Amino acid sequence: MTGPGYETLMLLCIGLIVPVRIYSLIRYAWNLPLRNGPGFFLGVEVPPGFYDAPRTSWLRRYHHVLLAEHAIEGCILTVLLALAKWQYVPMWAGGSAVLFVGTMFLFMAWTRHSLGAAPPVRPVALALKTRRLGDYISWPLEALAAALVAFSWWLLLRYGGTHVDLLNPLEMTWIVLGLLPGKIVTVRSSWPLPVERTEEHYQCQDAARRNGVRTLDAFGWFFAIILLGYALRHGGPSTSSLPGLIWLIAGAALATMIYLMATVFQGQRQMARMGRDLRPAGSWATPFRGASWLSRPGLIWFAVWFGGILVFLLYSLL
Amino acid sequence: MFLTLDASDKRPIYQQIADGIKALIARGDLREGMVLPSVRQVSGDLGVNLNTIAVAYRQLQEDGFVTVRHGAGATVSARRGRPLSQEALLKTLRTALTEWILAGFSDREIAAAVRQELASARRKGEIL
Repeated sequence: MTGPGYETLMLLCIGLIVPVRIYSLIRYAWNLPLRNGPGFFLGVEVPPGFYDAPRTSWLRRYHHVLLAEHAIEGCILTVLLALAKWQYVPMWAGGSAVLFVGTMFLFMAWTRHSLGAAPPVRPVALALKTRRLGDYISWPLEALAAALVAFSWWLLLRYGGTHVDLLNPLEMTWIVLGLLPGKIVTVRSSWPLPVERTEEHYQCQDAARRNGVRTLDAFGWFFAIILLGYALRHGGPSTSSLPGLIWLIAGAALATMIYLMATVFQGQRQMARMGRDLRPAGSWATPFRGASWLSRPGLIWFAVWFGGILVFLLYSLL
Repeated sequence: MFLTLDASDKRPIYQQIADGIKALIARGDLREGMVLPSVRQVSGDLGVNLNTIAVAYRQLQEDGFVTVRHGAGATVSARRGRPLSQEALLKTLRTALTEWILAGFSDREIAAAVRQELASARRKGEIL
């Protein structure tokens, strides 16, 4: 019995990513602007009849952008498969995520700039409930993830030799460890609560917070396992003597990936159900705070973390 | 448990927060030993300065309603605040009544409003 070859692993990844992306596109991304009902477009309050103008329809623009982005991803993957450039598949996966997130981010920023320039100002409610980090973040699990990263680096530095490329593990470490500040920011961030149906808005925000932390957790564990697999492959005991180990790591990564996808989709469903008739965050301003769909600490964390990933990707391309 | 804050309210924000918390304590919604969110959390949630919330909490502490301990946050300590003299309480009542009279309300309307507010303040049937 031998461990899986690189091609097999890459084909497994593609076989998982492509159906998930198609399902996500059809099931969630396509109708995302309408999540809060016809009174809103991507969380921006719009006047009645907004969706009745087909020629200048924002929904149509959104669909075009979404399709174009997916088409670019699909074309690059087709070229990679046709030329059997397996070594570029991880870069494609990462690049696709960056492209998708970046495109959505820019489109939402454009929407808010064009449609949401003058959001209504409303009275605000204040929740007198305490939020503690420990209620959302499991510190023992965080310590375990950090220990896994440290163990992987110990393997790489102790047994890896000089031929091992350390850029990939460095990128994965950045991704895993950089998620903790993101989780802290997620727990601490909040959006203003309207005075109508305050309890429901509060519950919806809290569910979004928990979903956010759970998703970041699963994302981090996926990369922690990939890092461990990389370390075992390049720095651990000879993989030919432990062929089952690589299968085990591949299986664990696959299971984490499936868990991550399930978490994301379950969270999307829950948010759609809970937030259907509620006022979306960032669609109104309070007397003390402007309408923003991202908190400032959240934006700073995301820019630094995501920017770091982008730098790693660009550096590995050069 | 929520407080509503409105820019059209003439009171400063810290006063609205302090008064709102006092009202919740009076109604029995906030009980002794309950922990209030930290100054940092409240200021972040509302998007106001840390000092604004700190002033509200400090006022509640001075009035004897909460105990603020560094690192442990603010805890509701009593349902009765620092005792005020009847004369001092009458002064605030007279100011409020003057406002109502000048606004053109009749004695009957003012009395009905007072009864309604009193009932709302005691809505849980607890004795202050």
